[in-house]
Amino acid sequence: MSTQKASEKTERLDLRGLMCPEPVLRTKKVLDGKPQGAVEVLVDSDINVMNLTRLANSLGLVLESQHGNEGYTVVIKDKKTLEHSHDLPAPEKAMQSSDETTKHAEKNAKATTVVFIAKDTFGEGDRDFSLNLMNVFLQTILQAGHRPQAILLANTGVRLMDPDSSVIKVLNEFKAAGVNVFACGLCVEFYGLQEKIEKEQITNMFAICEYLFSADKIISP
Amino acid sequence: MSNSNSESSRKLTANVKAAGCAAKISSLELKQVLSSIKRPQCPELLTSLDNFEDAAVYKITEDIAIVETVDFFPPVVDDPFLFGRIAAVNALSDVYAMGGNPVIALNILCFPTCDYPLEVVEEILKGGQAACSEANVTIAGGHSIQGPEPVYGLAVTGVVDPRSILTNGGAKDGDLLLVTKPLGTGVMLLGLKGELLKDAEQKQLLQSLTGLNKGALEIAKKYEPSAATDITGFGMIGHTCEMALASGLSAYLYIDDLPFFAGARSLAAQGFVPAGAYGNRNTFGSSVINLENVETAIQDLLFDPQTSGGLMFALKEEPAMRLLAELLENGYDAAIVGGLQSGTPGSIFLNQKSSLIEAKK
Repeated sequence: MSTQKASEKTERLDLRGLMCPEPVLRTKKVLDGKPQGAVEVLVDSDINVMNLTRLANSLGLVLESQHGNEGYTVVIKDKKTLEHSHDLPAPEKAMQSSDETTKHAEKNAKATTVVFIAKDTFGEGDRDFSLNLMNVFLQTILQAGHRPQAILLANTGVRLMDPDSSVIKVLNEFKAAGVNVFACGLCVEFYGLQEKIEKEQITNMFAICEYLFSADKIISP
Repeated sequence: MSNSNSESSRKLTANVKAAGCAAKISSLELKQVLSSIKRPQCPELLTSLDNFEDAAVYKITEDIAIVETVDFFPPVVDDPFLFGRIAAVNALSDVYAMGGNPVIALNILCFPTCDYPLEVVEEILKGGQAACSEANVTIAGGHSIQGPEPVYGLAVTGVVDPRSILTNGGAKDGDLLLVTKPLGTGVMLLGLKGELLKDAEQKQLLQSLTGLNKGALEIAKKYEPSAATDITGFGMIGHTCEMALASGLSAYLYIDDLPFFAGARSLAAQGFVPAGAYGNRNTFGSSVINLENVETAIQDLLFDPQTSGGLMFALKEEPAMRLLAELLENGYDAAIVGGLQSGTPGSIFLNQKSSLIEAKK
């Protein structure tokens, strides 16, 4: 049975008992009619929640779900309304993919850590020593088994991705371990490194901000 | 159940919980159940249940073996004739997947005669008959019962030369993998049910679902494949994994080369993903390397359970290229999608781009 109770702001749908694809279909129909999003639906399986997560991602909306006695209550809204929520999905959308978002949701919001490096040295001090410290820092987190969701490089930090940099090896090891390593495109251009850094490793400020705002923890040496 | 619309509640697929091969019991659950059942040895049985074969092969003489298989499922489409046809094509496919030639079949039917007019049963059976006639298979009888939701399929007997059986386990290091139909039927069937498909998309889907694997097998046999299977309920990943495991090899797939139905990727991205895809992900996800770097919609399509899917062959590079060319010439949506190599048996490495693209063009 399905009943649709219209409320003034957030539309609520009880979609329990419906067979696939009805829950997604009905939610989509409501959301297609409102560019701002905002719908609350009640469904009875985690598969519905995972499918609704994909729907929300495809529309650039975010989703929160709670499991209770009645089933799963899923709220889909636009990003602004959920800005400070810890359930904000990871920002893969900015990279034209929603992999992280789904992974995130499916892993029950496991805490995410992002390493943000906005200069090529670890702190201020003797230049060579500070450069070396950066290498030690990255080696140590790699060897300790920490796998941040992303390592984001900005300003002179992008120099670390120069093939001649002393830390390129460790950054590549992070990449091989599945860590996203991205350099700020504006910075890469400003420091004239376009030829030296692969296009796939370059991102924009929007994506960087998405990573930073959706991370549970940001480490910035 | 939408009772507001009496029309839709009469639709064949309206009350079906899981459609087509998406209705399969998960591989993990099946393994658990089967592991507790002891089976006596049978020397004439040429296939092992441990190698996830598509059908059982029983040796009669040195030259003749029979291929036995059974497959049935609830409606995947509302048109009863089309459903019957798809279910029969799907059931016959398991014989082709073993390299066999189906000859005789029995109908299996479960139907709530109170909920639908009898003409619906008639249409389903006519659809099954149409597929069997095209395949040159005689339907010799069957069995029907009353049940809460419609189910139809066939028990099929085929024949094969015991020396030319195509199993999952025959693939060799260096073989390429070739598929003969587009992928994504589970996702597409949800789109069809939701009336979201464009005409051309629907046409491509139904053409594929009702297309026998007979012709593709006949062409492929000329190129002496080392292994074959059909891509069905366990999806692209599941069947690749089973072939790799049975052959003691690891597999690799080229994402950019996988032939998906037009519209499938967008539907998957919007959450039109059948439950079976999540089940396959749970079962086979840990065998896949580099999965997290592939976009979610593609991941879902890789795990998507296929109904009436195509065949997958493993064969050496040079004959694979020639087979591909001949299949394409004959109108099959075939593609070389990866290959097999030594490595952790059953593991699948996902590459985005193919190094073969140039060679193929």
